[in-house]
Amino acid sequence: MLIYILKRILIAVPLIFGVLTLTFFITRLAPGDPAALFIQPGISPNVAEQIRAQFGLNDPLPVQYVKWLGNVLQGDFGRSFSRAQQPVFDVIAEALPITVTIAALTLVANFTFGILIGIVSAVRQNSFLDRFLTVTGLFFYSMPEFWFALMMIILFALKFPLFPASGLNEIGAESFGFVGFVMDRIWHLVIPVTVLSVNGAAGIARYVRGSMLEVIRQDYIRTARAKGLPENVVIFKHALRNALLPVVTLMGSSLPFIFSGALFIEVIFAFPGMGRVTVDAIFARDYPLIIANTFISGSLIVLGNLVADVLYAVVDPRIKL
Amino acid sequence: MSERWGRRTFAVPAGAFYLLFAFLVFGISGCSKGGSDRSAMGQAAMDSTLVIAMLGDADYLNPVLGSTVTSGNIMGLIYPSLLQSEFDTETGLLNYMALEKKLRDVALGKVKKTPEAAVARTWQMSADHKSITYILRDDAYWNDGKRIVSGDFKFSYTLYGNPVIASARQQYLAELVGADKGRIDFDRAIETPNDTTLIFRFYKPVAEHLALYHTSLTPLPMHRWKDVKPEEFRHSPLNLDPLGAGPYRLKRWQQQQELILVSSRSSNLPKPGTIPAIAFRVVPDYTVRLTQLQTGAVDVVENVKPEDFTALMKANRNIDIKTVGLRAYDYVGWSNIDQQEYRKSGKVKPHPLFGSPRVRLALTQAIDRESIIDGYLKEYGILCNTDISPSLKWAYNNKITPHVFDPAKAAALLRAEGWVPGPDGILQKEGRRFSFVLYTNAGNARRNYATIIIQQNLRAIGIECKLDVQESNVFFENLQERKLDAWMAGWSIGLEIDPLDVWGSDLKKSRFNFTGYRNPRIDQLSELAKAKMDPTGAKAYWQEYQEILHRDQPITFLYWIKETQGFSKRIKGEELNISGTFYNLDDWKLSSSATVTP
Repeated sequence: MLIYILKRILIAVPLIFGVLTLTFFITRLAPGDPAALFIQPGISPNVAEQIRAQFGLNDPLPVQYVKWLGNVLQGDFGRSFSRAQQPVFDVIAEALPITVTIAALTLVANFTFGILIGIVSAVRQNSFLDRFLTVTGLFFYSMPEFWFALMMIILFALKFPLFPASGLNEIGAESFGFVGFVMDRIWHLVIPVTVLSVNGAAGIARYVRGSMLEVIRQDYIRTARAKGLPENVVIFKHALRNALLPVVTLMGSSLPFIFSGALFIEVIFAFPGMGRVTVDAIFARDYPLIIANTFISGSLIVLGNLVADVLYAVVDPRIKL
Repeated sequence: MSERWGRRTFAVPAGAFYLLFAFLVFGISGCSKGGSDRSAMGQAAMDSTLVIAMLGDADYLNPVLGSTVTSGNIMGLIYPSLLQSEFDTETGLLNYMALEKKLRDVALGKVKKTPEAAVARTWQMSADHKSITYILRDDAYWNDGKRIVSGDFKFSYTLYGNPVIASARQQYLAELVGADKGRIDFDRAIETPNDTTLIFRFYKPVAEHLALYHTSLTPLPMHRWKDVKPEEFRHSPLNLDPLGAGPYRLKRWQQQQELILVSSRSSNLPKPGTIPAIAFRVVPDYTVRLTQLQTGAVDVVENVKPEDFTALMKANRNIDIKTVGLRAYDYVGWSNIDQQEYRKSGKVKPHPLFGSPRVRLALTQAIDRESIIDGYLKEYGILCNTDISPSLKWAYNNKITPHVFDPAKAAALLRAEGWVPGPDGILQKEGRRFSFVLYTNAGNARRNYATIIIQQNLRAIGIECKLDVQESNVFFENLQERKLDAWMAGWSIGLEIDPLDVWGSDLKKSRFNFTGYRNPRIDQLSELAKAKMDPTGAKAYWQEYQEILHRDQPITFLYWIKETQGFSKRIKGEELNISGTFYNLDDWKLSSSATVTP
């Protein structure tokens, strides 16, 4: 398996590199100018030129590419155009932990609720509860996340002010002590994580339901019941473990989706995470930051797929990698 | 059988649900308990902290580099300034003050700003208007205890003028000795005979108000920055730890999240800030900013849309809407010249649709500008005649009668120009239909609203106007490259009138003359006005300038916008004017949240 993983990682290198090259050319060929902020009345026309020269944008595109390539091969993705010329990985290092926290919490909530609802729906197939959960699940699944987020804010921050509308902490949170600070942080994360996970959980519930329904009709489940095993054991030990096989693979592949979902959530809830960094970088035509973000998300997608494949082999002994 | 399985199986997940529920209840009650302690502590913090919601973060807290309005607002609180400036709402003129001298005497009681914030004690303009000498006070100190000296100003100007640093303010140095030859001679242009004397020399006579404006750029402490190489200036770590001397100092800056200033106890420029702490929080989403204002989580939200006022003030009676002067206007741009031809051959030919002033006048008369104002801006919009704001009272021409909405007159004007209805009801002339695309930038609800009204108005007189919304960067680039025939956009004007960038006849030099409007008299009037050593002496020129623009209608001026800011009523002592919302922020006071009365 180790060789398989190494092989996959080796294949991923040219793949990610290709993606970065494409991103390099697409961003530069798209309309818009990173120095646009400096093109306005009252600012000397020299300034935009000087800024472009500093960013190395006055060179022909192939020269820019070769320079960029040389730097990237040495691990230097450059400095951000729009964020006080910080090295791009410093910008990402500040933003990534926030997004990872949200993504991790969302992932846990997604699968916990998704699996639970899926099991209930499958075991009580065609009951009122099943239909209710199916309709509710589809309702949330079809809802755009940004709209759902705004509705949750209006409901739970404005009409019933239980949770804050945005930010990671209250003003003066540093004086609450460690526990108070963490609780304050959790309090701020309730709405965003709920918004992100409701949608995902609804999707996972559908998978689990389908998969469970297939499994509980199998002969070995009938055998388990015939042996007189308690229903808990039949469902959780025999049925669920097999039903979760396709769901486990979802875990890896849902990682990039959670990251892209965090993009909207971070803008709406004012979290300075990767989503905000990406959106701001795109609007500011901050090429180095866009490419570095693509590198991170591209790597995550490759990694997510790899994790999914490996997990598949781990949970199903029949599969050999 | 299946029912039995069903009932038993449900028992387990139900158990799990109960557990989960218990966990949630525990969690939330834990939260709310923590929440009540927190809210008590948070309340104390809130009572001494003013919270301002911002759309975006400051770019730099370095006056040489900072180029956003947010940066400007924050830097104004941190750094010292050579002079104190004040906008005189009576005349619409900027006034400059040193400790012992004022450019203009303003009636007592009208002065809102104290001159104590100025580092200059006084100044003297030379008789030939080619140099200005400042005498600085000797009791102004940076936050680290070092004295602010004339060398700090000279050093800062060398930074502003360094092309490697590429400061957006290098235009301010355009009159210094050597600038006419392309390279400022800093040794001759700025002299510092001693720590309290600062002399600026110009290569040509400069009006006193412009000299004051251009020589009072914010300084940096030389002792702190002198070893930083110009090529490292933009990414120096010192940018994150600004050393100032103003009423506030930086406590913490979590980029893209929150920036906290605290009152600087040692400041005498003019005094420590009245409110102990000011938090600038980045909240990119408009709805969320509004929600936070409503819940009291923030105290100030800028640019609240008029459509939200009623709900906002109904939901929270402790909120007030405040306006600043008329500084921004929206317009419909018509290409006066054939842009395609100009791009191709550089030749200037009238635009086939909008080339005639009579056609442009007809378009203005066909657009019901009042109904756009009534429908969207309401009392926060004023009909716009030209780009000189009614707030600049000294120059504003109040004799101009606005073009009224008159579709019949507009149709007659178009008929006289040869535009007659075609078989499809759209006007035609020499086989060409009067049809065009009106572009605007995405994300501006006001402009979207206006474009729809404009489309309907023009359709009523037989003009086909298609609408297209473009991403802001793309829209701006298309405008610069002269790819658009008609568009809706806006300008925010400077407080010193200088219109040549927008209306100058030399289209290569006037980078923002997107319409291609050319009138030599406009160039002449602008130059004559600039040459006046006293701005009020140029009044006649600006009056004529407005009459010409009103007659030629190079664009359809739509409306001036009173920017509307949402304020918590716990803020006291705020003075908003055309200089900005946070004009006298260091003088604001906060009443405790418990004592706020609606």
